This record gives sequence, structure tokens and C-alpha cells, in this order.
Amino acid sequence: MRRILISAAAAACAVLLMWYSWSALRPSGGTRQETLSVAQTLGGSAAAGYLRADKPRRFSFPADHGPHPGFRNEWWYFTGNLQAADGRRFGYQLTFFKTALTPAAVSRGSAWGTNEVYMAHFAVTDVAGEKYRFAERFSRAALGLAGAGGTPLAVRLEDWSAQQTSPRPWGVRLSAAEPDFALDFNLASIKPEILNGAGGLSRKGATPGNASYYYSIPRMATTGTLRIGKERFTVKGLSWLDREWSTSALEPDQVGWDWFALQLDDGRDLMFYQLRRRDGSSDPFSGGTLIAADGRARAVTRDEVQLEVVSWWESPVSGARYPSTWRLRIPSQGIALEVVPRLADQELLTAFRYWEGAVEVRGLDGSPSGSGYLEMTGYLGAAAENKGPLR
Amino acid sequence: MAEPIVELRGVGKSFHEGDRERVVFRDASLSIDPGSWVFLFGRSGSGKSTLLNLVSGIDLPDRGEVMVDGASLSRLSERERTLFRRNHIGFVFQFYNLIPTLTVDENVLLPLELSGMLTPAGRRRAAELLDAVGLADRGRAFPDRLSGGEQQRVAVARALVHAPKLVLADEPTGNLDAETGHQVLDLFQRLLRPAGTTLVLVTHSGEVASLADRVLSIKDGVLVDAAGVPGAKA
Amino acid sequence: MILWRAGMRNVLRHPWLTVLAVLGVALGVAVVTAVDHANEAAQRAFRLAAETVAGRATHQVVGGPIGLDENLYRRIRVELRLRGSAPVVSGHLQLSGRTFQVIGIDPFAEPPLRSFSSRFTDRGVLTDLMTRPGTVLMLPETAAELGLKRGDSVPADSAGVRRELVLAGFLEPPDQVSRVALASVLICDIATAQELLGQVGRLSRIDLVLPEGEAEARALKEVRAVLPPGADIVTAGAKAGALDQMTRAFRLNLKALSLLALVVGMFLIYNTMTFSVVRRRRLIGMLRALGVSRREVFAMICAEALLIGIAGTVAGLAAGALLGSELTRLVTRTINDLYFVMEVRRVPLLPGALWKGALLGVAATLAATIPAALEATGAPPRAVLSRSQAESRHRKLLPLATCCGVLLIAAGCGLFLTERGGVVGGFIGLFAVIVGYTLLVPAAVMLLSALLRPVLELLLGSLGRMAARGVVVSLSRTGVATAALVVAVSAGIGVGIMVGGFRLTVQNWLANWLQADVYLTSADRGGGRYRPPLDPALVRRLSGLEGEAQVTLSRRVRIEGAAGATEVFSVQVPERTFLRYPFKEGDPARAWSGFHRGEAVLVSEPYSYRHHLHPGGSVTLRTSRGDRRFPVVGVIYDYGSDTGIVIMSRAGYVANFSDQSVDAMSFTAGKRVSVARLLELVRARAGGEQVTVVSNAQLRQATVEVFDRTFAITGVLRMLTMLVAFVGILSALMAMQVERARELAVLRAIGLTPGQVWGVVCGETVLIGLIAGLLSLPLGIAEALVLIYVVNLRSFGWTMQVAISPTQLGEAMLLAVTAAFLAGIYPSLRIARTSPALALKEEG
Repeated sequence: MRRILISAAAAACAVLLMWYSWSALRPSGGTRQETLSVAQTLGGSAAAGYLRADKPRRFSFPADHGPHPGFRNEWWYFTGNLQAADGRRFGYQLTFFKTALTPAAVSRGSAWGTNEVYMAHFAVTDVAGEKYRFAERFSRAALGLAGAGGTPLAVRLEDWSAQQTSPRPWGVRLSAAEPDFALDFNLASIKPEILNGAGGLSRKGATPGNASYYYSIPRMATTGTLRIGKERFTVKGLSWLDREWSTSALEPDQVGWDWFALQLDDGRDLMFYQLRRRDGSSDPFSGGTLIAADGRARAVTRDEVQLEVVSWWESPVSGARYPSTWRLRIPSQGIALEVVPRLADQELLTAFRYWEGAVEVRGLDGSPSGSGYLEMTGYLGAAAENKGPLR
Repeated sequence: MAEPIVELRGVGKSFHEGDRERVVFRDASLSIDPGSWVFLFGRSGSGKSTLLNLVSGIDLPDRGEVMVDGASLSRLSERERTLFRRNHIGFVFQFYNLIPTLTVDENVLLPLELSGMLTPAGRRRAAELLDAVGLADRGRAFPDRLSGGEQQRVAVARALVHAPKLVLADEPTGNLDAETGHQVLDLFQRLLRPAGTTLVLVTHSGEVASLADRVLSIKDGVLVDAAGVPGAKA
Repeated sequence: MILWRAGMRNVLRHPWLTVLAVLGVALGVAVVTAVDHANEAAQRAFRLAAETVAGRATHQVVGGPIGLDENLYRRIRVELRLRGSAPVVSGHLQLSGRTFQVIGIDPFAEPPLRSFSSRFTDRGVLTDLMTRPGTVLMLPETAAELGLKRGDSVPADSAGVRRELVLAGFLEPPDQVSRVALASVLICDIATAQELLGQVGRLSRIDLVLPEGEAEARALKEVRAVLPPGADIVTAGAKAGALDQMTRAFRLNLKALSLLALVVGMFLIYNTMTFSVVRRRRLIGMLRALGVSRREVFAMICAEALLIGIAGTVAGLAAGALLGSELTRLVTRTINDLYFVMEVRRVPLLPGALWKGALLGVAATLAATIPAALEATGAPPRAVLSRSQAESRHRKLLPLATCCGVLLIAAGCGLFLTERGGVVGGFIGLFAVIVGYTLLVPAAVMLLSALLRPVLELLLGSLGRMAARGVVVSLSRTGVATAALVVAVSAGIGVGIMVGGFRLTVQNWLANWLQADVYLTSADRGGGRYRPPLDPALVRRLSGLEGEAQVTLSRRVRIEGAAGATEVFSVQVPERTFLRYPFKEGDPARAWSGFHRGEAVLVSEPYSYRHHLHPGGSVTLRTSRGDRRFPVVGVIYDYGSDTGIVIMSRAGYVANFSDQSVDAMSFTAGKRVSVARLLELVRARAGGEQVTVVSNAQLRQATVEVFDRTFAITGVLRMLTMLVAFVGILSALMAMQVERARELAVLRAIGLTPGQVWGVVCGETVLIGLIAGLLSLPLGIAEALVLIYVVNLRSFGWTMQVAISPTQLGEAMLLAVTAAFLAGIYPSLRIARTSPALALKEEG
């Protein structure tokens, strides 16, 4: 959802990061301050020349699974909760972000010349092993190092990839490997593509054009193998795909968001994002979608939802204080849940720092009633801002 | 009688000059009592200065033994002889031999420094001596600003500053006019006699002989008592 | 410390002598420090640049003359999953008259690799860098020097093409080390570098960070499996080491020359200190009589020397630092001409060179003082008072010194005979000969002054006789002063003959080597010895001149191989020209057919010397089809490269290295056109391309200019050594004459006119100069022979002609006599001016 923001922010941060990283000799200690806040990264970036998500459009699948040139940012966001045969639980995240540095493609003599940069995050939560692993990559979209093909979808960054396996129901194969962890999954849609917002146009702020085209596939049956260290697990479970493309940026007073993607045991799925303003209040543009078991969807407005932080967790590394357990009620839909992280520490210490992790959904009586993913941003940014300007 | 302060026993010394050998002492013997003044007369080149060099340990005899204050110089190392010299002997030269790069004060203080006596008492003594030789006001001058007589008076002060038992003077008046020479001898009289310091003085001027307790000369490499002077022995 | 005051005031009492002694130490230290600094700076700058640019890479994948296919990078990074990998496109370009190294990187591949960083306050910089052609980053200091602001554009030339660069932002290195290394570096996106350097589709290399141990071996095996023929994986250090090795002989030669200056400086110090002791013989005698021990006198003299040593060293270091930056420029220029392009700018003072200089200065001063101090303290106190005895003692040592001298010379010659000693052995031998010879100097002085006495007598009467005798009588000082002058003058002669012979050799060689009438190359000099290829269209256009002229195509490349890089020069040459090549070994007529077909090669003399290769042997080269052996059919003289080159026909090169490009063309006028007309034709067809078209004569002249430039530093060092010697002789003679002030005053008192005194003094000094000049001739010629037949051969593998010009010898004589004459002027003026009475009164 709001990951549009992550994408943009992260791509911009990426740029900073790579240059920072060059400096192996740089004195340590400045790390924390170098992490950007969302608002600073996205604030006021000029969008002239890019296409804007400013009017409804017709979606067409599987073509729209592919890239949309002309927009600044686009991503493919896979998350999911999985279980091994012995019941051991895992969560994963594999996301590809594409950023266009200029509105138009560049024409260069060198094959390395491009205006597109890819970033990808790959994370695995080992609940029983109480370990969260993540990795981050960047690449230019050139020379076959990274890129996305349309129909059938093939998005890749080096050897991390998502490739369509069947058009309908839409299936995709995910593959990513790091020295310490790897996955190779087959995903098959259980529910169709769900258009969020107004027919897929999701507004994020009052400024016209501060919006994205946004659809999700909330349930994808997932099977495959997961490698943790030297151990291999055959796993199955549910994945969630979020797709969003846009050129927009946050409104000046929006500092972060909390995003929920919950797959309930009763067959319903809920996506809800809360945009937070500088003063701590939730923005009126917060909203979501509730998808019934049969795939019918209805928009959820901010006023329908009651969100409450039950407990907090402070990152020992970044120092950011994130909400941990949430209580979420939608009285009109008979929803009253607690959202509990499967691991407290699922913070991505990447160029752009945020918390994104597997969560368990419980009834208020503690009964298991689903699983999902939670993303929280802007908590470090606020902290950093309080400490004065960044370099 | 006390132990002699200087004693030569059968000393032989000769020098090589080109192919020739020049014998200065063949078999010289001498015994000098503490506090006595011994003057040595002789022609130029007769070996007067050699005697002083032997007594001061600057030179060693080829044969025989030189005893100074009970110590046999030939048995001391070069370094020990140097230390012995700096502590027990005061030197006055014909050509003053003040250190040109040191002031009058510093020249006088140098022996004190060498023998580790550069104490306030030592400095007072140096000042008194300079006062005694009549140059208290020239302390800061360099030697080349002084006349010959003045320089020699500084040299006397320097020779006496560390209260040596033995003062060796090599023609101290040889370079001075008669009156200035008298002044220098007068200084010896005033400063050495009361302290009972032994003086060995080399000269060719007979006039000063009257001040001596004993007068010697060198004949054929042997030290002999010059005639008419009391206390001399063969 | 009254005693010490006596010594120190002595230093101050004769300020001129002290100043000269300090100056002598200072000059010696300055020359050594400066050369050391220049050598180190050049070496360090090169290493730093290599390291900073290579970053933490442990290995590099390198290709043949045209680099690597860029797709190899994807295979390594994506298919082999070697994430510690980064592509690099590098080359040189000219910007505002300066040469910059362009390093094109993929910022996204970089994080694990490089140590230099750039911090952007806004992300626009990366966007510009990636998406705007021609955008580069440089140090803010460099930009300030070029007068560039961010966003400014500036024209730059590379590969014969002019392009606009845009300053997109600044590099911000984390430390001074990187700052120095990056002073002449432009960083840009890899796409930009490919375009700027005309290397689209190619990579210069791929940097790798491989894990250690077993994983490294596995990774190496995997990488090797995907490498195309002609590509290789080398350790990152190997490349820098090879380049280091390349300039080693050159740097060693410089160091030896600088040491010569120090040796002369040491003579000077020895002389000064001996003198200071001799002059104070009386004073020391007095002190000893007063009871100052030997040890104290020794310490006093050493302290005095130490003071002079420290003062001289400090002054020398300051001068050395100044001189060092100038020498650095000269050294860099020579390295650029001879080896590879390197820019050294703003090198901070190297603590290593300073410490070395300081230690050397103080230690040399003390070492040179010890003989004098021993002399002062060794003698019994009474003897110290007399001077003639010291002189006679010296004279007794004369036979011993002469014997030692002969032995040393023999030992030195022994070293020349054995090849195993290498360059270092050659220099040690040379120094042994020099030192041995100096030991013979005192004896020779006696002999020569005896021989010259009648001449002087004839010219100056009894005064002349007095001068001649003065030289002999004060042999302990004149001997050393003369020896110092002999060493310096002979060094001048030796180096002069060597350089002159070399120059002549090169000129002769050029006449054989450059046979065409007009030469055309890319104007770009950025790549040092290697030039970027010419535009193929231009080559085609110019080849159309066939008919009016004979056209020759050539290409000079570096082929990396297992045993380091080899320079391969490929040329399309007609038989007629080939037969006139300056062959050293092999028969041109028989060599031709194999060479022509590209099956056999020629090697240059240094290559043959270094690799012990002769006709009948073979060279293995890494071609694009893998390693291939080429038989050697001839050895030719070549003075273009001291590492040596392999010469191959163009047909052979194209077939073996898959490279059609040409970097130079030459044209020999046919019967119908004049050279001037041909020059016009070539110029016209070259059009607006960035190429240089020169005639044979111009090229020859340019080559000789490069030669002269290369030896400029040698000339400077030679002059500095002479300067040290001049100061040495000046101070020695002055000191001697000052000591004689009393004696001369006596002469004045008995009726010599000031003019006559001048005659005695100058007669004596000129006699010393004359003797030194005469004595330096044989040594100088011997040094030249050693330099040519031992040192140069072992350093560079070049043989050269020996050309001894009488003018050179005459100049050296003149210099020695002039220096000595000038040295006599001040003392004689001084003595002539002072009244004899004053001098007489002064205590000796």
C-alpha cells in the first residue's frame, strides 16, 4: 500500500546508501543519522514529466502484472506466512521496487545507460529459531542485471526473481538466495486481483495526483522450499501480492504509516493502512479493503476502523520505538482482532529502515483467527527529526 | 719531615726528532717537600718544560718513577692522570693559555667545574681570587681584551681557584716586562705562601731566585742543585 | 657548563666556517631527501591510486588489448553469484592540459569494494551521473584548480575525440590518503566512461572480492571456467607490483645519484670537523693540561658536530621539501615518458623521507666527525699542542691509505665482473671504486704538486714554490678537500659522458628506426606509451593514399600474461624497411619470412637481456585463442622501453589478438610526391580529427626532446652534487687559509704586499683545483664506463656507445679550477684587508 512511499523513499535512500557504503574507512557512529525519514526523502520531490495516478483507469490482466513505464515508482510486493510439515512457522517478504530516475527513458551508446534502478528486499522470519534475516540489493535495469518483462511477468534483480508460471489462475514462481537463506516458491492465486481504492485509484492525500494505482491478490496458495542456514524445509501457506505504481509523494505533514494485510481463518482478507500525521493523529485518507471469502471486495474507511496500540517494542539497533501488538476493530463488520508480531524484531535495517513482519491474528479472547503481514514506517524518522537535521 | 709531595726516582726521558734521539733526562731524581718552592733554571730546550709535563702527568717517563702526593703517575691510566691533574695541580703557562672563548670569570671557574667544586663557596673563592689579582671588574671581559700582565694574573687565579696542593708554573714571567713580572710573583707570594702550597716554577731569569726555597738546574740529563741556594741536594 | 660554552662559542666565533659546514650538511641532506621524496611520492602516488581505485578488491579479471566483453560481468555476478564483484572502465583523458584518470563504475555494484566515498545532500547527483551523458565527479580542490563549479561543463579530449564533460558533483574522500590518490581522478558512471573512452561494450577489468581459503579456490576455478581466451584473473597486488618493478631500476639510479651527493657532503663535514679540531689543537692542549679528560674533549667535539649536523639537517630538510616537489615533477615526467601515465600532485611531505633524511644527516655528520674527534683525543696532551706532528702522522698513514685504495678499486672491479650482483652490485662496485680512488688522492696530490712545483715556480717565483709546498704541508686537509672535489667533478664527468653517449646512441637508433616520411598518431597522450585506436574510418581514408605513398599501420598494446605484462608492437612493414631495422642479433633476410607471416617475432634488446632470449628461443603470449609460443628470429636495438618489447607483424597481431585497430600510421613518399606535399595530403585527409601528423624530422626531434626531458633530473642531480662539492672546497680552503692567518700575517709583516698574499693563497687553491680536476678525469671516465657497461646494462638492458668529448673534460677541469679559485678569494681578501698586527696578536 503505502509502500509506494517505501519504494520511492528507499530508491532515493538507496542512492544515498550506495555512496555512503563506499566509505569503508568512514568513522562509525553516524549510521543512525544517515538513515532518512520518509518525509524528508519524499518531501516535495518534483514530479514534472512523469505520469500521475490522477484518474481512474481500466485494469487488464495479466498485462497489468507487468511494468508501467512513465511512472516514477512501481513495485511487486510478495509477503506470506508458511508452515513446514512439522508445524514450524515462517514468514517471508520478497519485494521488487523499480524507480525511474527520469520521466523518459534515456538513449545512450552504452548498454549500461538507463534511467531505471531496481531495489529488492528479501526477508525471512524463522519463528521457532527466533531469527529474522533480511537482505537488500540494488541494480540498474541494464545488461540483464535487473528488469521487468510484461506478459508473462518476469521481474528480476540479478538472481532474485518472480516469474509468471500460469496466466489464469495467475501463478508465479519466486526465487531468491543469499548465503544464509533462500527460497524457491510456487504461488497460485486463490482469489482474483482486487482493485483497492476507487476502482484501483488509491488516493493518499488531498493534493491531486498524490495517489497510486493499487491492486492486490490477497490469497495465493504457496508451496516450495525454504533454506535457513544449511537446513531445508518444505513449506506451504498463504502469500499476499501487492502491486502499486505511482509518481506521488506524501503530503508534507504525513510522517509514516501502519499497514495491515490480514488473511482471516474465516476466509475474509483485510487490507488497511493508517497514514499518520506529524501530530500523531491518523490522516483522513487512511483506508482499506475488506475482501469476502468469495472474492467480493468493499472499501473500508478510516471512520469504520478503530485502531489501538496495545504494546510497544524498541529497536536496540535503530532506537526506533515501534508499536508491537495492535487491537483492530471494525464493528460494522463484526471484526475485533489482536494483531501480534510472530517475532518482536522484524526490523529491516536497510537503506530505508522500517518494520515489516509476519503477524498472528487472534480474537480478543486470544483464539487464533488468522495470519498476515504488518508494515510500520516513520517511527525512526520522527525520532531522527527530533534530534535535529540530517546531514 | 713529612712525606715529599713530588718525588722523581731515576727518571729517564728522551724524544725522537726525525732520526735523532734527544735525551732530556738520563737519570733524574728529585724530592720536593710540601709547601716548599722549587725553581728550575736552565737554557731553552734543556728540558725544564718536560719536567713540568712529567710532574703533571701530561707526559710519562721512559724509565723511572714519578710520584706526586704519594701516587705513582706511571701506574695511573690516562683518565686517572687527567682527573688527578684537574684536582691537585694548578698550571700557569708562559703564554697564559686562557681559553679565548671563555670570559675571565668562566676561565677561572673552569677548574672548579672540572673538579666538581662549582659551589657557591667555590664561586666566592673565585671572586676573591679575582679581587686579589686586581681584576674583579674585568670578570666579563674576554681574554683578548686584556693586556699580557692581566691575562697572566687571570691565569694565576685560575691555577689557584681549586686550591691545588701543587702549582706548576712554566716561565710565568717570561712574556712580561719586569714590573709586571714582579706583580705576578708578588701574587704567588701573597696567595701561595700563606696556604702552604707547593710551587714548581721554571724560569731562566735569575732575578726571581731569591724567592725560592730551592733552586735546581738540569745538567746532562740530571737535576742538580744550583750553587748558592740553601737546601739543595744532589 | 663552562666547558661546553667554550666549544659553542667557538662555533659562533667563526660564523662563516660554521655557515659553510651547515650548508654542506644541508645540501647533502636536501638532495637525498628530495630524491627520496620524489621517488617515494611517485611510487606512493602510483600505489595509492592503484589501491584506492582497486579498493578492497582481492582479484581482478583482466582482458587482452581490447579489454573484456561487458557480458562477462553479468555471468560472474548473476550466474556465478559472485556478489563481491564490480565492473570498471578506466582510461585517461586530457582536461585543461592535465591528464586525468577516468574511472567508470557501477555505483550499484560498489558497496563492498571501494574506500572513497561521496556524500550527496540531494539525490540529484546520482540521477545526473546515471542519466546525463558526460557527467563526472572530482575532488572539490581539483575543481577549484580548474575553476569549475558544479554544473559547469568543460571540454575534454580522449581517444582523439573532444567531448563536453559536466561536473555533476564532488568526491568527498574520507581521509587524506584517498584525497591524494584521487587528485587527478574523475569518477563517473560506467556508461559515461564507456562512451567517453570509446569503449562501448567493453570493460577494462572486473574487480573481485573473493573470500579466503577454500572458497577462494572454488571461486577462482568457477571464474576461470567462464573466462574467454585472452582474459585472466590476477591478484590485485600483482598488477601494482609489476608496475612498481618496472620503475625500480630507474628509481635506484636516482637514489644512487643522490647518495653520491651525500658522500660528497660527508667529505665536506669530515673536512670541516677535522679542520675545526686542527684549528683548536692549542685550545684542546690547554684544556687537556687543565685536566679535561679525553672523553670530555671527545664529547665536546661531537656535541659541536651534532649541533652543526642538526642545524644542517633541519635546513636540509626544509630545502629538500622544496626541492622535492620540483624533483617529483621531474620524476613523474620521466615515468610518464618511459613507463605509464601517473599524475602526482599535492603530495604532502612524507614522514618516511624526512626521517631518513634527518637520520642520514645527523648520522653522517657524526660519522664524519669521529675521525677528527679521535684524532683530537687520541694524541697525548702535549702532542696536541704541536701541529707538525699530526701532519707527519697523516703522512705515515699515506701508504696504508694508498694500499686500501688499490684494494677497494680491485674489489669494486670484481663486482663488475659478476652478473649476479645486479644493479645494486653495480652501484656498490661503483662506490667502492670511487672511495678507493679517493684514498689514492693524497698520494696523488703529493706527486702532482711535486710535479707542478716547477711550473708554479716559473710562473710565480718563490711565492709559487710556497703555494705548492703549502698544499703538501697541509696534506691532512688539502687531501680531503681535493678528494671531495675529485668525487664531485668525476661524477659530473661520468654522468655527462654516459648521458652524452646515450643520446648519441638514441639518435643513431632513431635514424634506423624511423624510416617513413610522415607519421600520424592519435593526439591523445593520455595513455602514456599506449595510445587509443584511431577512428577506423580515418584509417580507411588515409589508406587511400596508397599509390602516392607507402602506408604502414601499427599498434602498440600491453598483453597481460601469467608472468606480467608484455608490450607488443605490431607493425605492417614492407620488406625493404624491415631489412634496415637495427638488428643486434639474427639475420634480417632470414627473419623476414617468418615475421612477415606473423609466425615469428622480434624482441628488443632489453627484452632479450631480461628474459635471456636470443634467436632460437621463443616468447609465449596470451592471445585471444589462448597461450601461444612465437619463435624469436631476431633481437633489435630499441631504446623506447626498458622493459623491452616484442615486435610482431600486423598480420600476426590481427590473427592472434582479434584486434583490427590501429593507433599509428606512417607514410613513405612515393616517387611522384615530395615529403612536404605528402604531409599536406595526410593533414588534409585527417581533417578535423584529433590526430597528430608530424614529419620524420619533427618526430626525431620530439623523441630527442623526450630523451632530454628524461635526463633532466640526472642533470639536476649532477649540478647539485657539484654544488655540494663547491661548497665543500670553498669551506675547506677557506678554513685552511683562516688558520694560516697568523702565518700570512707574518708574511705581510715581513713585507709581502696584499697582492702577493693573494697570489700565495690563490696559487695554492688553484693548484688544488687543478690537481682535483686532473685527478677527476680518469675517475670520471671510469665511472662513465661503469655506468654504461654495468649499471645501465643491468638496469635497462641497453647497450650504448661511449663518446668522450674533450670539451666535456675541459669543462670539468675549468669547473674545478674555478671553484677552487673562487674559494681562495674570500680568505685572501680578508687577509689582505686585516692589519698584520691584529692577526699577529690573535692567539692561534
